Amino acid sequence: MEPRTDAFSRRQLLAGGASLAALIALQACSTGDETETPKGSAGGGDPWKQFSGTAINFISENTSPSAAIAANLAPFEQLTGIKVKVQQMELDKVVEKCKLDFSSGTAQNHVIYADPYQILAPMADGLADLRPLIDSGNYPAVEKGLGDFIDTQLQATGSFIDDKKIFALPYDAPTMILHYRKDLFAKYGPRAKADLGFDPTPSDSMTWQQYLAVAKWFNENARGDVAYGIGAQAKQHDALQCDFSNVLWSFGGDYFEKGQSLGLRGSEEPGAVTVGSAAGVAAATFYRDLLKVAHPSSTTWDWTGLADAFVAGEIAMCPNWHEFAAGEEKAFPGNVGYALLPKGPARRAHIFGGTGIGINANAKGDELGAAWLFVNWATSPQTQLMSLGSKVGGGTPTRTSVYEMPEVKAEEGKSPSKFPNIRTAETVLKAWQPENIGLRPKVSQWVELDTIIFTELSKMLTRGADPAATMAAMQQQMQKAMQ
Amino acid sequence: MSAGLDAAPRTALRARAVPPPRAGRVKRRVRPPRGLKTFEFAMMAPALTVLFVLSWVPFVVLVAMSFAKVRTLGGVSLTFTGADNWSAVLGDGSIWASWARSLVYFVAIVGLEMALGLAVALVLHQLVRARSVVLSVVLLPMFLAPVLVGLLGRFMLDSTIGLYAKILQAVGLGDDLLASPSTALPTIVSIDVWQWTPLVALILLAGLTAVPPSTLEAATVDGAGYFRTLVAIILPQMKPIILVALLVRSMDAIRYFDIVVATTNGGPADATKIIPIKLYEFAFRFNNQLGKAAVLGLTMLVFSIVMARIFLRFFGDRPSVPAGDGGDRG
Repeated sequence: MEPRTDAFSRRQLLAGGASLAALIALQACSTGDETETPKGSAGGGDPWKQFSGTAINFISENTSPSAAIAANLAPFEQLTGIKVKVQQMELDKVVEKCKLDFSSGTAQNHVIYADPYQILAPMADGLADLRPLIDSGNYPAVEKGLGDFIDTQLQATGSFIDDKKIFALPYDAPTMILHYRKDLFAKYGPRAKADLGFDPTPSDSMTWQQYLAVAKWFNENARGDVAYGIGAQAKQHDALQCDFSNVLWSFGGDYFEKGQSLGLRGSEEPGAVTVGSAAGVAAATFYRDLLKVAHPSSTTWDWTGLADAFVAGEIAMCPNWHEFAAGEEKAFPGNVGYALLPKGPARRAHIFGGTGIGINANAKGDELGAAWLFVNWATSPQTQLMSLGSKVGGGTPTRTSVYEMPEVKAEEGKSPSKFPNIRTAETVLKAWQPENIGLRPKVSQWVELDTIIFTELSKMLTRGADPAATMAAMQQQMQKAMQ
Repeated sequence: MSAGLDAAPRTALRARAVPPPRAGRVKRRVRPPRGLKTFEFAMMAPALTVLFVLSWVPFVVLVAMSFAKVRTLGGVSLTFTGADNWSAVLGDGSIWASWARSLVYFVAIVGLEMALGLAVALVLHQLVRARSVVLSVVLLPMFLAPVLVGLLGRFMLDSTIGLYAKILQAVGLGDDLLASPSTALPTIVSIDVWQWTPLVALILLAGLTAVPPSTLEAATVDGAGYFRTLVAIILPQMKPIILVALLVRSMDAIRYFDIVVATTNGGPADATKIIPIKLYEFAFRFNNQLGKAAVLGLTMLVFSIVMARIFLRFFGDRPSVPAGDGGDRG
């Protein structure tokens, strides 16, 4: 018998294996860096129809714009032949599901409501870069181009560190402004003015100290019509951090040394934690005083609970997201007014809670293409106009062109209005000015930092902890989390 | 106490005192386990394999994760970090505080549900007419999903729209029960007790109906009153079923999650942040902290085992082994 000879030597086999591994690694690198731009085969040349028959899932926080989109999907399905299933839930659950989806390497949810602080910053690797899809000739162009989006919103909701990449297109733009009952201020305003020595009706000149004084006055003099002057969203929840941030920034404090500059593109190096500064302590002290006169159930309310209380007539005024305007208009037609938030010693600040929609990086082929068509359609001017007038609430536009449409301009300030949220337009457009907007730091550890912030604040409000000790504990824990 | 009442416990004690013959145990150790080579075992093997994969593989992975930094985005990766996660978790004061709260929850929930469940079961057992109708009504809460019960509690206690809140306000108790750290925890305990007491009652009712009527009649003949009969006859005979109820509820109490999330989300001031909520934060909210979540999961497992052992020690009636039954089974 002839001695057996191997077809390949061991060295050849090892070299071949190494080459194969390198090829696979290179392939993985190349697909990981650039989003593919698949071309569909359906539709006979119509770029909107090329992925006809594909089914995709859109996961979103239960917000008014998503309710409006879910209720008005028929035009998209007629336009593209794509079936979209919209899942809406609380933001915490969206974050949890996205984390599981991104980690599993699959795309159960193709279109993602990419909250810039809780999803985009910590999980940017799980989102596809939309730039290749935007630039590709395979798809319908973004109507009016990216320049039509409000620039600060495009940066804040769409980018993270690398400004060449776009992870999401601006989809909604909730921003905190002051909501107040015009009928109550009309009734009690003159008396309050005589007692307090200033006009109590919320306006662009109101300060936080005046806001506090008006709240106390209502508690003491208007119980027949309203239980409390003010309410707050002070549940141990993200809402508490949002509510407090308005005060913190207006008192000159911030979470990090680099301050508001971290809110647009974000950073992995935000500088030292500064929340325990003298301004931070002053803000916390004032916020504690504010909550002492607020509706006592405030510590159980998040933003929805606060909006429900306002609509139920429990409070005369409160800071809340402007997208609750539609519901308020239903409860008190023509009797709800909107104003900028009160001024602090340093500035006035309106926390921006806008979010973009992006695509799961695990989506491939037709599902990726279909998801991009949906993102493009859902953020288009016509869809935003439709959303504005939706019977189920609707959002507010992230496109400058929508605010300039004659039919939209005609509805500003009208009551009843077919676009109830646009009643807030004058105020929110001022709130979005660079000197008025409040941006949270976009860092990948934000969810943990957020938890530290609202937990310590909750201890201060409900256990009577000292504001200085609260801010010191917050600072120390945030520093530890950033290490 | 009459001799008749003492007879049964004494017999049981004697049976426990007699050690099983050791010869059989020695034989089982020496002989190869014949069961592993049987047709029956071959038939069970697929199910056992599935059970092994479903329980031991995750356990081993959990242990590995507890000693590693775990990244999930872009493919799961474990970087060995020694005992860092363990030292971080065991050195974190907020986690110990959370354990203390969990213990309070545990004792309150299990204690109240067992006491009230027994009371309800005894009442139901006395009912002759309409027992099934009353039982159906009593059992209703346990058919609801816990998250729904949490939401129901939240809405009923909401100061703006809640029925219970309005009733409390009407009697002068206007404070929001979920808004204060001192009342949030008892409120959530009450919600859980409302939902799960019926389950305990159902289990104990089954135990009550299993008590032999002849024993109860004998007790009556001997002049034992209701409470004497309950303490000396009924409860001792119900020990195995009480153990079942205890184990079921205590395992649930350790994993308690849904109602807290739906009502307070751990607040106010962390007053309701029990260990499962902490675990959830590490695993699903914070970035790259699955290692710490794994440590918490393992400590919860140890706690469960310890509690189960304690209950078994107090309520587990070891089966008496008749003389001569220690022979060759193997």
